[in-house]
Amino acid sequence: MEYALLQAVFLPLLLSPLVYYLGRKVGPNAATWFSFGILLYCTILIIVAALNGTYEEHYPWTELFGEFGFLLDGLAAPFAIIIYVLATILALYSKPYMVHKFKENFHELYQSKTGGGSAGQTTAIVESSALTEYVNKQSGIYFALFLVFSMGMLGTVLATNLIEFYIFFEVMLVPAFFLIAFWGDGPRRRIALMFFLWTHVGAVILLLGFLTIGLSIGSFDFADIKESEIPSDVVLLAAVAILIGLGVKLAAFMFHIWLPYAHASAPTPISALLSPAMIGIGAYAIFRLIIEFLPGQYEVLAIWIHIWGLATMFYGGAMALMQDDIKRMFAYSSISQMGYLLFGIGSFSVLGLAGAEMMYVTHGLGKGLLFMTAGVLILQVGSRKISQLGGLAGKMPITAVCAVIGALTIMGIPPTSGFMGEWTLFYGALETALEEGSTLRAVAFGLGLVATVLTMAYILWMLKRVFFGKLPENLSDVKDGSWYMLAPMMVLAGFTIVVGIYPDIFFNKIIPYMSGVLGG
Amino acid sequence: MATEFMGLDVSAISAWTIWILPFLAAVIIPAVGKGSKKATGYVAVGLALASALFATSLLPGALEAQEVHDQIPWISSIGLKAGVLADPLAVIMANVVGWISFLILVYSIGYMKGDKDIVRFWFWMMFFIGSMQLIVLSDNLLQLFFGWEGVGLASYALIGFWYRDKAQHHVGKEGYSTLGIMEYYSPTHAGMKAFIMTKVGDIMMLAGMFLIFAYAGTFGFKELIGDTAWATTMSAEGLLVPAAVLLFGGALGKSAQFPLNEWLLEAMTGPTAVSALIHAATMVKAGVFLVARLGPLFFALGAAGILADQFFEIIAWVGAITALLLATQAVVNPEIKKVLAYSTGSQIGYMMMALGIAGLSQQFVDGYTAGFYHLISHAMFKASLFMAAGSLLHVVGSRFMTDMGGLRKQMKKTYAFMWAAGLALMGAPFITTGFWSKDAIFAAVYESGNTWALPIFVIAILTAVITAFYTTRMIGMVFFGKKSKHIEKMESEGNHIHEAPMLMWVPYGILAVLTIGIGIIGLSAEEGIHELFTEYLENSFGIYSVLPEVDESMLPGFLSGLNPIALGSSLIAFSVGFGLGYIFYIGRWVDPVKFVNSNLFFYALHKVMLNRWYLNAIIYWVFVIAPLWLARGIWRYFERTAIDMGMNVGLERTIGWSAKVVQASQTGIAQSYLFVFGAGLLFIVLILLI
Repeated sequence: MEYALLQAVFLPLLLSPLVYYLGRKVGPNAATWFSFGILLYCTILIIVAALNGTYEEHYPWTELFGEFGFLLDGLAAPFAIIIYVLATILALYSKPYMVHKFKENFHELYQSKTGGGSAGQTTAIVESSALTEYVNKQSGIYFALFLVFSMGMLGTVLATNLIEFYIFFEVMLVPAFFLIAFWGDGPRRRIALMFFLWTHVGAVILLLGFLTIGLSIGSFDFADIKESEIPSDVVLLAAVAILIGLGVKLAAFMFHIWLPYAHASAPTPISALLSPAMIGIGAYAIFRLIIEFLPGQYEVLAIWIHIWGLATMFYGGAMALMQDDIKRMFAYSSISQMGYLLFGIGSFSVLGLAGAEMMYVTHGLGKGLLFMTAGVLILQVGSRKISQLGGLAGKMPITAVCAVIGALTIMGIPPTSGFMGEWTLFYGALETALEEGSTLRAVAFGLGLVATVLTMAYILWMLKRVFFGKLPENLSDVKDGSWYMLAPMMVLAGFTIVVGIYPDIFFNKIIPYMSGVLGG
Repeated sequence: MATEFMGLDVSAISAWTIWILPFLAAVIIPAVGKGSKKATGYVAVGLALASALFATSLLPGALEAQEVHDQIPWISSIGLKAGVLADPLAVIMANVVGWISFLILVYSIGYMKGDKDIVRFWFWMMFFIGSMQLIVLSDNLLQLFFGWEGVGLASYALIGFWYRDKAQHHVGKEGYSTLGIMEYYSPTHAGMKAFIMTKVGDIMMLAGMFLIFAYAGTFGFKELIGDTAWATTMSAEGLLVPAAVLLFGGALGKSAQFPLNEWLLEAMTGPTAVSALIHAATMVKAGVFLVARLGPLFFALGAAGILADQFFEIIAWVGAITALLLATQAVVNPEIKKVLAYSTGSQIGYMMMALGIAGLSQQFVDGYTAGFYHLISHAMFKASLFMAAGSLLHVVGSRFMTDMGGLRKQMKKTYAFMWAAGLALMGAPFITTGFWSKDAIFAAVYESGNTWALPIFVIAILTAVITAFYTTRMIGMVFFGKKSKHIEKMESEGNHIHEAPMLMWVPYGILAVLTIGIGIIGLSAEEGIHELFTEYLENSFGIYSVLPEVDESMLPGFLSGLNPIALGSSLIAFSVGFGLGYIFYIGRWVDPVKFVNSNLFFYALHKVMLNRWYLNAIIYWVFVIAPLWLARGIWRYFERTAIDMGMNVGLERTIGWSAKVVQASQTGIAQSYLFVFGAGLLFIVLILLI
């Protein structure tokens, strides 16, 4: 098992040129299955490594920054597993969706070149060979970027050094930018730029916090930071800078406006990766950097994080109610769910924190499923406006079942994993309220529970308008998606139920870590 | 005590099997459905029967007040275990649920024949039953909550079963609105309403569970009663009653008690078999069961000086208010299934009333037995009534009673069975289960000696009068009088009105006969349960019943154990209600429409009751329309303007503007560069000099 994590992080990066070459020369099928193979292998590596408790690797790096290491502990393991499981199955899911998108782009391009019209047999033949070439090339680029994006996310949650963390943090932004700019919907370049600017500004603020810590203690290594005393005059400043930087990443209330644009525009497999996996990394960083390394500051900030989370829960939920674009609605729902994470992080109790991390897992599964549903709808129905859909359950039963399971996961209804996240999270909030005798926290707990009803309302209303009710006449020929899309969804749906019934899969890792952090 | 087989505890395995089997059926049904849709029904019925038989196998032990408790590790990182607790309460309940749902499933084979989504139907029915049995047999609150949300989910799926929202599956009258709220609901709307409204109860329940877990560190029922130190601490901090009341909030939602009662009506959009299941065996009974599960716990704490009287007072009052509120609405509704739905809510109110009053009296077991006995008898007659109503719908093709009438000749069996079950609902004296169970409730309320006993007793009697009246009205409107225009039209088109097929009438026939059969021996049946519960409460909770004072009974013979005032009131209530109903709807000596319109008071009362006391409309205004309006305001004037315009467009403009400034300065004219350079140099020199 040596170099397991090194492989898991760098194999996708190193092989991405090969994927590009394969895609270009052979076609999208080869690129898909090769990417899938790489990611599957890496996922297995991570899972096996995670089975043996805490696992770390260290490699020499520069004098200036310290060590280059990977740490797979109780905190990082669930994040790492969810990121790669999602990436692996989304590689398969991407194929039909992206090929469709490439063709769409090609026709756009072709029509603008030839000025529409002038159809003839020769042009048709030329067009078809040009199309194949175009699709091959695009799929090569797509899967290469996809792999780099995935490894960037994984590297972030495994990093053991602030600079290393920052590098990976930025590495995931760049491919995400290109993925949106190349294959997004609507004004994609503008939106990609906006996404990049927002998250980059967040990252820079984060970097300021890192530099404050690193320069004041003279090391960027996590191990050193944990052990040294940071001068008290700068530490709160650093904590706030980190929190704001991560707040942008999490799209917390007031820093959220980039998210509905980016997630609605991004090609759907990327939305399904951005929305649950990427933005939640902000929560990972709060766990690692603030709760673990700056516990004193966490104590001060916890209640504010708690309230910030509550506001985000309500705000995202209320805005989700107003959306007609299904992906935009899920994007607002993600904001609301990130509110749950912040709420749990601010709860200041072992189970509350564990619940917050479980919410990351469960949001990854649930929102992943919902975005994949949206992708099937876009591909099979050709519309993403909720008002134009309806009664589709009979036409696409498997998608509908997966969507309902995803919806239940987001609503926190047992036996899906959502319930396991939610009850621990809210219990943790109540526990602290009782311990501190804090009325504010007790009220926040009550309101938090009310927010779950809001969540339920917008999700059920969406299901009703998309899958139930009368079928519009123009949709009578709609068919279910291809197995490339359905099989990954079924895997996720099964996974969420397994975790919901037997949460120890993740709790066994999370809870010891959280009690170590809070108890210590 | 425990039967061993190859080292395994047979009764424990049976207890697990009771709830696992229906889930297993749910899992295999879609697979079976791939091969043959028809076979799914037989798989469902077969496994439901097996599950019921396992429940029955535990009955002999339970009747001797034995209990089976078995645990396995579950969320070991928090030290939580999963388990089954098959004590007499759970076993009796499991039998009621198992057998009644088995009969309903048999009925469904006939009722749902030819539906193209039949596989989905069986899947959810089995999921429903499994969830209910999970509630009944769980040994801790968290596991119970799985079943609790499971029944919520199954009800959502089944109420909205006909998700294509065709007009014939709606409830309510098209175009009729109350305070601007349209009282006409599609199945998908109704399912959503049920799920969200019960969820409001569920979050209260979660809060209550968490409060108790925070102090006790366990969700287990046995552990909670085993060491009551937690209750002492909670009571000292004033949190015991709030926690108990919050838990009761869950029951409010599931059992459709005031103020969370409004979902129950719309739940009638589901297939009638589903309504029967929801109303007789699962879902609404879950709330009563929860109170029956937790009531003794909170009462037993009284022995240690920790009183939870307010908790029981709230239960009793909620029950009383719901009983009356919903009974009044049943009187005026024209849809047969809605009348039955109101009646269910009202009867559940009786059960809650009895369980609440139990905790307020010296003799806990009296009210407790009365409430639970009423649950059993209600399960039988209500299942029978719903299935019979389903047959009527099936035959007549309309949900309105005004579209029926004079059916007693064509549908003789249904007519007879509906009378039998209807008499039980009315509490017809001496021969129906409903009479004995209702009488037990009256007696328990009357004898409790609580401050509130008298007003609650009066409400209970008043409700009994109304119940007898609306049941008579229902039977009168359906079976007596002239044929409606709708039926005449049907017959003129050559559709002959006929009895429902055998597969359908046999199940409700069995239940109707049982209602009378058990009714004849009703008093001794009740005494049997009373004795059993006395022992159970002693063994499990240490609640000892006070020996009744031996006084000279005023009643002769077999009635000697009964309270004469309760009995008398019950008889009077039945006669008045039935008599009035007879005058209006069977004898038809007075036309009810003319009667109501003759007098402003009756007209207004009729209007208020028909408009559901305006509760539904108010709930929609406050909890649906107002929040949506608020969200729209925030969306338009904050998210779109302040945030989006301010942050994105504003930022973009600022950057664009500053770019223009910078661009403008890059003129390419060397003189101006030199000028600026010189000015800058001068500035720096000046600063240095100063």
